Amino acid sequence: MDFAFTDDQLALATTVRKVLAEHCPPSSLRASAQQTGARLPGWSQLAEVGFFGLLVPESSEGLGLGLVDAILALEETGRAALPGPVVETAAIAPFLLTPECLARLAAGDLRVSVRLGGQVYAPDADAADLLIIEHRGALHTISSELARLTPQPGVDPVRRLFSVAVEGAGTVPLAAVAPPAVRVATVAVAAQLIGLARHLLETSVAYARGRTQFGAPIGSFQAVKHLLADVAIAVDFAAPLVYAAAVALSPPFKLLPAKETELDRAVSAAKAAAGEAAAQAARVALQVHGAVGYTDELDLRYWLARVWSLDPAYGSAALHRSRLRTAILGSPELRRWP
Amino acid sequence: MDLEFTEAEREFRAEARDWLAANAPGPLPSMDTRDGFEAHREWEHRLAEARYSVVSWPVEYGGRAATRIEWLIFEEEYWAAGAPGRVSQNGIFLLAPVLFTYGTAAQRERFLRRMARADDIWAQAWSEPEAGSDLASLTARAEPAPGGWRLYGRKTWSSRAAYADWGFGLFRSHDQPRHKGLTYFMFSLDEVEIRPIPQLDGEPGFAELYFDGVFVPDDQVLGTPGEGWRIAMATTSSERGLTLRSPGRFMATADRLVRLARELDPDPALADQIARAWLDAEAYRLHTYRAVAEGELGSATSMGKVFWSELDIRLHTLALQLLGERGVVAGPWLDGYLFSLAGPIYAGTNEIQRTIVAERVLGLPR
Ligand SMILES: Cc1cc2nc3c(=O)[nH]c(=O)nc-3n(C[C@H](O)[C@H](O)[C@H](O)COP(=O)(O)OP(=O)(O)OC[C@H]3O[C@@H](n4cnc5c(N)ncnc54)[C@H](O)[C@@H]3O)c2cc1C
Repeated sequence: MDFAFTDDQLALATTVRKVLAEHCPPSSLRASAQQTGARLPGWSQLAEVGFFGLLVPESSEGLGLGLVDAILALEETGRAALPGPVVETAAIAPFLLTPECLARLAAGDLRVSVRLGGQVYAPDADAADLLIIEHRGALHTISSELARLTPQPGVDPVRRLFSVAVEGAGTVPLAAVAPPAVRVATVAVAAQLIGLARHLLETSVAYARGRTQFGAPIGSFQAVKHLLADVAIAVDFAAPLVYAAAVALSPPFKLLPAKETELDRAVSAAKAAAGEAAAQAARVALQVHGAVGYTDELDLRYWLARVWSLDPAYGSAALHRSRLRTAILGSPELRRWP
Repeated sequence: MDLEFTEAEREFRAEARDWLAANAPGPLPSMDTRDGFEAHREWEHRLAEARYSVVSWPVEYGGRAATRIEWLIFEEEYWAAGAPGRVSQNGIFLLAPVLFTYGTAAQRERFLRRMARADDIWAQAWSEPEAGSDLASLTARAEPAPGGWRLYGRKTWSSRAAYADWGFGLFRSHDQPRHKGLTYFMFSLDEVEIRPIPQLDGEPGFAELYFDGVFVPDDQVLGTPGEGWRIAMATTSSERGLTLRSPGRFMATADRLVRLARELDPDPALADQIARAWLDAEAYRLHTYRAVAEGELGSATSMGKVFWSELDIRLHTLALQLLGERGVVAGPWLDGYLFSLAGPIYAGTNEIQRTIVAERVLGLPR
């Protein structure tokens, strides 16, 4: 039992964090949203450090790593609120695409959006080259030029959602099945939610130290302190569930195949806990900022919106909670892992 | 990162499980009564004979030099076996860690082995009628006397001090304000006047201690006179953190709650909360494994204290809701419920912990 990240895993996260601090600053989110700058800031630099090939097999020119190796890096993409179909390209596509596509994916030359069963929209499909669509229980790929995309403007101006109409022409059936990819995607989004929550907490703490009312920093008021302390606690206790699920989904798959239900339970626990912690972080961030937090002018709005947008992605916290209820109370034998 | 237990850890677990299955007694009378206290002491003797009373201590003091993970494993097995609460907890979990760090060799020789065997059971004497959360305002004092000190004043809420053998506590030894000028004493309870105080469940689990010039020799001062605060603060992080209330305790309660729910088939709203509470016990366990792996057990323990104490109340509240009227008649769930309610009060109230998290973990201004 050694639940600590390796130096390599930590170094990768640090690299991604640095790249995004430089190439995906908050101002670039606004530029992406308002189409005054790059739609996908930071992507080419992330591709240079191999980010999109982390989960791609070595035989397809990827790094062949497990989800656990990439989980902190994915968390960093949440912390930066990185625009674009990050999880779809980096965490789902590696499990579904053909080897030829995967080499392009690993090189950062192929962006992928996904609409699997249970999803209504394809996120960031405007920025994707290829769509993976579940249609009548089977998976297909289609070049995004051949699909009819209808934008569905909503809460997050950066993570744009699209309805996809597929006329049949141009779709290519995929052999792979979705469940393992969906599990990985769910945990990857959970990691992003942890990263978003960490940013929201840090930003709120910084604001509470600087903002003065009644002649004192608002962060010295106990009501404000305790709100923020509760966020810290929620995030601190959600993150290990995400990391444990990432371990469960990484080779050598010690949990599979005998314990599929435990695996699903670990995935749902990660998404539910991370989603709830992030929602709490967003609520508190808004409250601590007061009216200025309620504006479109403060960059905070991009992190709030991303939390709201990612809650339903690959199953809302509420959906995963109800799965957990069945898994925990419904199974005749309740085993723990590890 | 590896979330599998090693071969050695699995063997350790299996051995502990077998021993506990063969030896753990059924429910004992409340340890807050004289008879129950002695029954728990008997059990501690048996634990000690099998070297299971203080597994993480060095072998020479009666332990097994177990790693932190092994200690967590032992706790998981201990509570899963339904074994009794640890009547020696204040000594082995709160005093011993600082005795190892700040005690003299002679003090360790004199006290630790007897503590491990429950020959001596220790009571914590920190709180005073006017000094609870604001411990640094304490006024009980120590006056120098030939060869030692004389203690004066009053301590209160001391758990099971009416039956315990020894006490440890802070006294103002120097005429200095607040956390300065305090000294950490270890003293026999024989000469201290003690008034038991019944708790919410009616059992006399608290005691008030009256010191009227009780003599304590110099060799029963822990650390340097006047430096008691620093030592006390080292104690509080083990009190809040994993030593006093390790995850195993809550995992066992959560498992019992789920078994109860299976029998009673609750409606989905209640079932949802039960599943959530079970998972929160898992979250506490994983959080603890991570804290151990990262060697990070400092002010982060304040987060854990809030988490486990509020989880414990939820677990027991849910059991009572499942049981309906049967939940409010005497039984283990009712006992557990009442005790869980004390969790956010002792070991530093949860309000104080949240403030500590905000100031020391997040860096918000005082
Ligand atoms: C079951 C149990 C066992 C105990 N065992 C022992 C023992 O063995 N030895 C021992 O020495 N003590 C023991 N205690 C006492 C315990 O340490 C104290 O109860 C605790 O420190 C709180 O002090 P108090 O009860 O005086 O409450 P107070 O300090 O008076 O607090 C009352 C309320 O005010 C709040 N409050 C106080 N100050 C602040 C602040 N600055 N900001 C926000 N809120 C604040 C508190 O959070 C609490 O809600 C035990 C208590 C219990 C319940």
